[in-house]
Amino acid sequence: MSILEHNGAAIIAMAGKNCVAIGADTRFGLRMQTVATDFEKVFKMSNNVFVGLAGLATDVQTLRNLLKFRLSLYALREERDMKPEAFAALLSHLLYEKRFGPYFIEPLVAGLKDGDQPFLCGMDLIGAPVYTNDFVVSGTCTPNMNGMCESLWRPDMTPDDLFEAVSQCLLASVDRDAMSGWGAVVHVITPDGVTSKRLKGRMD
Amino acid sequence: METTTSGFSFDLCARNARLEGKAPAAMKTGTTICGVVYKDGVVLGADTRATGGSEVADKNCAKIHYLAPNIYCCGAGTAADTEKTTELIASQLDLLRLSTSTQSRVVAAVTLLKRMLFKYQGHISAALVLGGVDCKGPHLYQIYPHGSTSKLPYVTMGSGSLAAMSVFETGYRDGMAEAEAVALVKDAIFGGIFNDLGSGSNCDITIIRQGGVPEVRRGYETPNETAPLRAAYARPASLRPPVGATPVLSTLVDVFDAPQPLAL
Amino acid sequence: MAVAYSGGVIMGADSRVSTGTYVANRVSDKVTAIHDKIYLCRSGSAADTQAVSDYVRHYLGAHAIECGRPPLVKTAANLCKRICYANKDRLLASVIVAGVDPYEGGSVYVIPLGGTCAKVPFAIGGSGSTYIYGHVDHVYRPDMTKAECVDFVKTAVERAMARDGSSGGIIRLVDISAEGVQRDFVVVN
Repeated sequence: MSILEHNGAAIIAMAGKNCVAIGADTRFGLRMQTVATDFEKVFKMSNNVFVGLAGLATDVQTLRNLLKFRLSLYALREERDMKPEAFAALLSHLLYEKRFGPYFIEPLVAGLKDGDQPFLCGMDLIGAPVYTNDFVVSGTCTPNMNGMCESLWRPDMTPDDLFEAVSQCLLASVDRDAMSGWGAVVHVITPDGVTSKRLKGRMD
Repeated sequence: METTTSGFSFDLCARNARLEGKAPAAMKTGTTICGVVYKDGVVLGADTRATGGSEVADKNCAKIHYLAPNIYCCGAGTAADTEKTTELIASQLDLLRLSTSTQSRVVAAVTLLKRMLFKYQGHISAALVLGGVDCKGPHLYQIYPHGSTSKLPYVTMGSGSLAAMSVFETGYRDGMAEAEAVALVKDAIFGGIFNDLGSGSNCDITIIRQGGVPEVRRGYETPNETAPLRAAYARPASLRPPVGATPVLSTLVDVFDAPQPLAL
Repeated sequence: MAVAYSGGVIMGADSRVSTGTYVANRVSDKVTAIHDKIYLCRSGSAADTQAVSDYVRHYLGAHAIECGRPPLVKTAANLCKRICYANKDRLLASVIVAGVDPYEGGSVYVIPLGGTCAKVPFAIGGSGSTYIYGHVDHVYRPDMTKAECVDFVKTAVERAMARDGSSGGIIRLVDISAEGVQRDFVVVN
């Protein structure tokens, strides 16, 4: 079994009209044993950039700290927030620097670009970027999530519709994956603010 | 630490060796890429599928990369490797142009790439089709991950290279016109898209003309477009979850630029 | 393969490059120039032999400019050997260096896998060469004319291509003499 499946994760990011949503499960496990059900995998990097880190939990936290550090340095030097495109490029280079000894993380970046246009980007563990206009997924049940998203995603959703779509995709997907689930959290990012919701899901 | 060094970092190698287990698969581009030299330029073509194992990771990725204003490069192999290798060489060529004030030569790009790939002894898995025009005319090269190169009038690479090559071997002629060359490249890529499982989706084409501006035709032909089909289909109500369908435990609203209470 | 005649050398090679069972290039050029009148027949890993010949071409060019005269074939072969010997655990490269210089006339040096360097009247190498050792030993005579040498190379490479699956395509021929270099090719099939 791959080391990426050691702790388990399911993360979805989806685009709507002038909004994006990113949701993740909250399980932290050691292979088949569930250790905690309040583990954070999605992090706010700035008002308009969120990152989801699926993979080895130790690397989730290491990379979260590293990204926060790099972003703080950027904010100090530039006196502005990093745009999501630049953040994705930074993350991609951080990962590819460790090409021959990688972080076991497959990240997602979700944010709003200039003009409040949605920005979505997924990556593999060595930083090969995947840019999409609809949705990206990462974690231990990507076939489930891809299938759900292909069915529920539709163009130009409102923030409320987007929340329902992401939540339903996530909950349905993790119910058929033993490595993820045990609660979920969804953030909907709009130009005016972020709404974060904890979902009620199956705890088995 | 990370901010001051350059080149690859091997910090985690020892740790990862101890974690053992099967090495996770990086994203690959099970690919069809090709190129052909015609009367006054080069045509490059690529499919747009990226795979992670047997799953399609990206349905519309760009595999024709920019190297210089007169040179483009198709990449097959590990997605991150082709992406970063071409980015790196593009920046080296840019610096070279600034210091020499001359147009980049295609051989220069090939030499930089083959030296880098040879140095890494095939561990950077980038299989490239490189095409461009310079003062010596149009050139087309193929570059293998181990750093060997060959200069040919028509080349194919990636998992769909056999399908594409069969199209070239039947259709290629010396001194073709641009329209013929573009049609041939499109047919070769279609050969890969429809006959190779690792290739799929759309056909991208880039035309580099002698003494002209390169024409990047992203999505030159899209034989597998699903959006119009889906738009024509009325979704059942079960595929449109109504607002409030998901049970929520707690909500936290962060309003940007909301008036903050004064702290003392 | 390469063979020396009085005043020059004839070099020949097939044109097949394969990856596994797939022919990656059917019209490649395995007879590579490393100076005006010194050429190199490459066999083994394409990447390794290209890297070696690029280095030798670089060093030999610099050496010729420093000396202000054309380099010796012996020098070229020695450079090649030093690279192949120093990196023998990393390289899969066996090459034949041949050409003309004012001191030895036409000469042929062979550098097989380990990095030995030997001056020989003629040399064969590569996967197809095993099939034609008997043939070349039988046919070769020390005092062959240029025309006889061309025929000798052509026939030998043709026989190797017929038997060896990794050899094929066309026969590339290079004639190097004091007068100049002439390239030719033969389509066998």
